[in-house]
Parts: sequence; structure tokens; C-alpha cells
Amino acid sequence: MYNTEVRGKLIEGDKSLGQISKDIIHPIDQKTPKWWFISMGISLIMLMAGLYAKYVTVTEGIGSWGLNNSVGWGWAIINFVWWIGIGHAGTAFSIFLLILRQKWRTSINRAAEAMTVVAVMCAGLFPLLHMGRVWNFFFVLPYPNTRGPLWVNFNSPLFWDFVAISAYLLISASFWYFGMIPDFATIRDTTKSKIKKAVYGFFSFGWTGSSKEWLRYEALSFILGGIAAVLVVSVHSIVATDFAVSVIPGWHTTIFPPYFVVGAIFSGFAMVLTLVTLMRKLYKMNNFITDNHVDAVARVLIFISLIMGTAYATEVFIAWYSASKYEFYMLIQNRMLGEYAFQFWAMVICNAFIPQLFWFKKIRRNITAVFIISLFINVGMWFERFNIVITTLAKDYLPANWASYSPSYIEILLFIGTLGLFGAGVLMFFRYIPMIAIHEVKSVAKFDKPTAERKKRHHHEE
Amino acid sequence: MNLDQKFIFPAKLKMASWALIAIGVISFVIGFMSDAKTTWANYLLNNFYFVSLSVGALFFLCIQYITNAGWSAAFKRVPQAMGTYLPFAFLFFLLLYFGLHSIYHWTHEGIAETDKIIAWKAPYLNIPFFMARVVVFFVIWILLSRWMRKLSIKEDMQGGLAFFKKSGWVARVFIFAIALTFPFFVVDMIMSIDTHWFSTLFALKNFVAAFLHGSSIIILIVLLLSKTGYFPFLNKSHLHDFSRYLFMLCIVWGYFWFAQFMLIWYGNLPEETVYYVARWKEEWQPLFFIDLILNWFVPFIVLMPRVTSRSFSTIIGVIIVLIVGQYVDLHLQIMPGAVHHNHFSLINVGMFLGFVGLFTLVVLTALSKYNLYPKNHPYIEESTEHHF
Repeated sequence: MYNTEVRGKLIEGDKSLGQISKDIIHPIDQKTPKWWFISMGISLIMLMAGLYAKYVTVTEGIGSWGLNNSVGWGWAIINFVWWIGIGHAGTAFSIFLLILRQKWRTSINRAAEAMTVVAVMCAGLFPLLHMGRVWNFFFVLPYPNTRGPLWVNFNSPLFWDFVAISAYLLISASFWYFGMIPDFATIRDTTKSKIKKAVYGFFSFGWTGSSKEWLRYEALSFILGGIAAVLVVSVHSIVATDFAVSVIPGWHTTIFPPYFVVGAIFSGFAMVLTLVTLMRKLYKMNNFITDNHVDAVARVLIFISLIMGTAYATEVFIAWYSASKYEFYMLIQNRMLGEYAFQFWAMVICNAFIPQLFWFKKIRRNITAVFIISLFINVGMWFERFNIVITTLAKDYLPANWASYSPSYIEILLFIGTLGLFGAGVLMFFRYIPMIAIHEVKSVAKFDKPTAERKKRHHHEE
Repeated sequence: MNLDQKFIFPAKLKMASWALIAIGVISFVIGFMSDAKTTWANYLLNNFYFVSLSVGALFFLCIQYITNAGWSAAFKRVPQAMGTYLPFAFLFFLLLYFGLHSIYHWTHEGIAETDKIIAWKAPYLNIPFFMARVVVFFVIWILLSRWMRKLSIKEDMQGGLAFFKKSGWVARVFIFAIALTFPFFVVDMIMSIDTHWFSTLFALKNFVAAFLHGSSIIILIVLLLSKTGYFPFLNKSHLHDFSRYLFMLCIVWGYFWFAQFMLIWYGNLPEETVYYVARWKEEWQPLFFIDLILNWFVPFIVLMPRVTSRSFSTIIGVIIVLIVGQYVDLHLQIMPGAVHHNHFSLINVGMFLGFVGLFTLVVLTALSKYNLYPKNHPYIEESTEHHF
């Protein structure tokens, strides 16, 4: 029994089911707009810059980066953690909001899942390149071999990482793809172009929409969803153990696994917000991504921002409370007041304070403001990873080893390259895939009728 | 359906609660006469236990508001009533003042001169500031929970959406307040027993435990009341949603437990492992595993299948396991630091029963004062006709 009068409509504009399909497929059938080519061009240039940086990295080695003996993890690891964090929102949206029975997720989950897949691919590049000899990357796989035999170190979180991320990529990509099959079939059945009919027909696996197919389809989504929900938590917990199993102050702290998971969901939600505000603006999807949707994501962000703030405060408090001079030095003298204090305070302000602006309804309803705040969170989460990775490595137990770090232009270009890859991936998604899950939106369309009228017609339908 | 029903506190149950309280008082008297130090630690344990239920239940209530949950609307009087225990807990925690010396060795006079770590922590861990924090925390919790309850009762009388919206706002403020205060409360009451030891996850782990066990008691009360004819609309979908909460929270509990244990074990720093070393020795070792089995393993395995998560008796069984689980968890967190040896006896059961009696009396009295169902809640229909 969905109380439409209180909760508000999920889709605006009194659309029929046919109209919903038409509206969502429209961008695929229309002529490609000019801005699309321009943005694609920019993304590709960025991607090329990244390719050049990869070429230099592979031919010259890691020496082309700004790393030194103390700071052995630089931008590569920061960006890896940042991207993998962004890659969490898709699954978080689909699963956690499903469990909490949030019907508004239907308009946004497709975009979030698409983003997940691209972001995880961006993330995967960095550890690969960081291996130095990227052509030997398969040494990471544990299999009987002729190298000794030389096995991977099963005790190392870096190996756990490899396992977790490959599993996550596999499951989230399948989850996303299988979710699209009914929509591909819709395009196949409505398009006039023969090529499109063939291509989308192929990718829809001969979907006919019979009730038997829907039954299997729902069972599959349920199973994949269950697995993905566990992976969301495990992947980022394992990324956290990359740091936390060490004994270095600032890294070795028990709060890290949940703190990383929450941080990941935070940055992912922020990136979803960035994307859907763009979708609204560029493709005029206001009827599907309504003010209520944006409002709901913004409120989730306040909540998560609060958890982030609590985690930062806990870390600082315990650093003092521990009475360990190394902890105290790392968190307070080094991070808060030291060489990289700017990054620390940028993190605190962007992640813990700026999102609190969402307490005001006026700001939640102002799409430009929402867009800008979402960018601040993206930046803030990048600074968080900088803060964790660099400050601790730069000043460890041995003052003789203390060193500063600044990235070389190759590292910067690598990052720009992944931004280009992400941009290009997202643009392809806008252009060739229904950016909103048509069948899922249709399933909530009935809630737009007044409650009393629905009750009269189908008493126990819901 | 008649939503104007009130809960009538059965006279027999009331008598039984008073009898339990009497058992509790006698147990405490015997305890204080025989072994005051251990009894103070048990006093702390039971107090913390029931505060965690209240705060956990209120957090559950706030989560329902901020997620705009409809299915749970009809049950919200139960967590509200559980919040009314807080003033009693406040009084008990003020009385803890007389037992500080027995539990916390940082309160001992002159210890700061010989113990450098305690000297460093003295600006935070000193008796006046400690007691001031107790006052501040409880005043905040009591005021906010009363405010929410008042709004909800006014909603019953007058109707309209205004109270619902206002409650949503108070719920957000309350979550904010709990996030700021409850972790410190845990540090004060439990972590500071092992004064030298620290863990950043410790407070949050206890917060999750409060949420888990608070939710489980809400469910227990709802299910038991439905047995006696209340909540006639309770169906399998509600049961499924309730057990999803337990299932999800027991996983989070296990996750936090593992994160803290694994990182300390892997890091192997003496100042951190000392905590687990003490809990790994002969008399504590069985409890170390029982803790994990009761709070995570049993609910996790039992509630996983769809059939069991929709079964009335299975859910009751799991909740009973969890009730014991929270006791074991707190026992294992408090006793090795406070009294060093495992002095568990029938007297401890008596003390616990005394608190059970008081909690039952307070909560059910509060529940019987107003309408049992929030009849003007905008989602009441979503809740009473919940099917999925």
C-alpha cells in the first residue's frame, strides 16, 4: 500500500506505459547531439594523454613517477582507492535501497551500475601499472607453475585485493548486463533501423518477455544481488586491510574496514548525484529523475557525511586517548598541522561540513547547488585517500627516512587518462543503452495514481 | 480494523515483574555483602545492557523515519516505550559514582603519579568530567526521546502531516546526537576499564550491538503481544522484514568483531594484543567463542533460509539466543579488566532478572498509557496491509 499522497509521485507527467518506453529510448533513436561529440572528443584526448603516460610507464618503468624509497605508493594507489570507492555506488544503490524498499531507486540504479563497471575498470589499471612489469601481471594468479614453484603470498592483503576486485568486477558487470536484457528487447522491438534491430536483438538473448522468463530473470537478479551485496562490503574492507594490517601509525587502526566501506559508498553516491543531475540537464529526464529523487540522494549523503565526520573525530580522539606518541604525532602533528595539512582540512571540509548544507530544503531543491556539492564530495574523497596514503608513508618511525612526495607529470596524465576513460564510458552509456531501467520504472508507475483509486481497482495487487 | 486499541498491562505480569525486581534487589544485597567489587562490575554490566536496548530501539525508530519506512509504522509505539526506560537508567548511572573505585583503576588516587599513560589520559578520564558526561549524555537522550514521543502522541490526537514531518526532523537530530554521544559513552563505561588499551572500532562495535539487540527486543515485544491478541494484522511479510533486520545486523556485528580482532591479531602489537590475550586464557576462552557463536553464527545460519525467517517460533528462538549473547559479550568485555576472574554464579542471574523485571514494568507501563497503534501515522495503512 504505497501512500502516493504523502510520498509524492515517482514519475511526473502522467505517462502511460508506452510513453515511458518511448521517452527513455528517445536519446538512442534521436540524432546524436553536438555536445555529445564535443565531450566525447575531450574525453578521448584525455584518454590519449593517459595512453601516452602508460607507454612511458611501461617502457621506462616506475622511475618515471614521483615516488621515492619512503613514499612508495603515490597517486597510483590514491586513484585506485578513489575509483574503486566510486565503483561501489551502483551495487549500493541496487542492493541496499532494494532491501530498504526504497522505490525511488528504480530511476537511478541503471546509471549507478553503469558507473560501477567503468569505475572498477579505471581502478584496476593502477595496481596493474604499479606492478612495474605489467606483462607479468598473471604472476598474481595462484596456479602451479614452473617458477620454483613460486606461489603468491596468501597472507598478503594485496593478493586478497586481487581476488576481491576480480570477483566484484565479474559480478557487478553481470548484474548490470542481465538487468538490461529486457530493455534491449524493448529497443529491438521498437526501433526502425535494421542494424539496431540486429545488434540489440543479439544482446537481448532472444528475450520474449514470457512469464517464465520473468520468473527466471527475477531469480537470477536475486542471486546476483545477494552476492554483490556481500562483495560491496568485502572489496573495500580488503582495500582497507592493505593499509591496516601494517603496523604504521595512521594505517594500523581497527576502524579502517567499515570506515573505508562507508567512504566508498559516500563517494559513489556523490558520483551518482553528479551523473543524474547531468542526465536531467542534458537529456531532460526531469519526469523520471524528479526533485524527489535528488532530494532523497542528498538526504542519504547527509547521513553518510555524518558517519564520515564521526570516523574522522574518532580517529583523532583515539590518537590522543591512546597515549601513544607515534599515533599522536601522526594524526595531530603530522596530518592536522604538518606538511600536508591542506589536504587534511580539505578532506574534513569537503566530506564532513559541506554536505551538511543538505539539511536545508532550499539547497536540496536547487539542482545547481546539488551538482556543485556533489563535486566537492568527489574532490574531498580524493583528498581523504591522499591523506591516508601519503602522510603516513612520508613520515614513518625513522626520521632519517622522512621524505616529501609530489607527483610527476606522468602520474598526473595517468589520472587524467582514467578520467577520460570514465567520461567516454559514461557517454557511450548515454548514447547506446537505455539510461533508466525501463521495466523497473514501469513496475512503480502504478503508484502515481491516487491511493484510493488504486485500492478500488485492485485490492491486493501490491 | 479498530486502531483505537490500548494495551492493557495484565495484573499477573505486573506482579511477576515486581517479583523479579525483588529477586534482583535480594541478589544485589547478597552480592554487595559478599563481594562488592564483582557486584559493582555486574551492576555496570546490567545497566549498560538495558541502556543499549533503549538507545538501540530509539535508533531503530529514527531509522524508520529517515528512510521513510512504511511497513514498520504500526509498531513504532514499542521502541518509543523502550525509550522511557532511560530516566531510570540515568539514576542508576549516577549511583555508579559510588562504585567507580571498584571498576575503573584510573580512579584510584595517586595512580597518575606512577602510571604515565593514565596521567596522559587524566584530562579526559577524571571523575568530575566522567560524571558530567553521564549527565550530558542522558539529558540529551531523554529530552530528544521524550520530544519524539510527545509529537507522536499529539499526532494521534490531532492528526495531520505536521507532526510526522516534525518527527522526521527530530529523528535526524537524534541520530546526529547519538552518533556524537554514544561512542563516548562506550569509551567511558567499557573501554576505560582496560585503561591502557584502545581500539578505534570498539565504540562503533558496541553501537552496532546496541542496534542489533535493541531491534531484537522490539521484535520480541511485538511478537509476544501478538500472541495475546494485539497487532492482529501482523503477517509473514512483517516477520520477514523483522528477521531481515536481525540477519543484516548480526552480519554487521560479526563483521565489526572480525575487523577488530583480525587487525589486532595481524598487527601483533603488544599494547593492542594484550586485550585479546587476557580473553584467550583458560577461564575466558570458551566465552570468547560462545560470544561469536551466539551473536553472529546462530542468527546468521538460522535466519538465512526464507522459511525460517518467516517462522514465528524460530524468530523467538533466535532472539532468546541474542539475549544471552549480549550478556556474554558484555561479560567478556567488562569482567576480565574489572575483576580478572570469572565469578559467574546464580546471583548474577538474579541481578539480571531484577533488571528484566524493571525494564518490563517500565516499558509495558509506558506502552499501556496511550493508544497502541499510531492511528494517524501517514503510513499506518502501508504497515497494516504490508505484503510482498
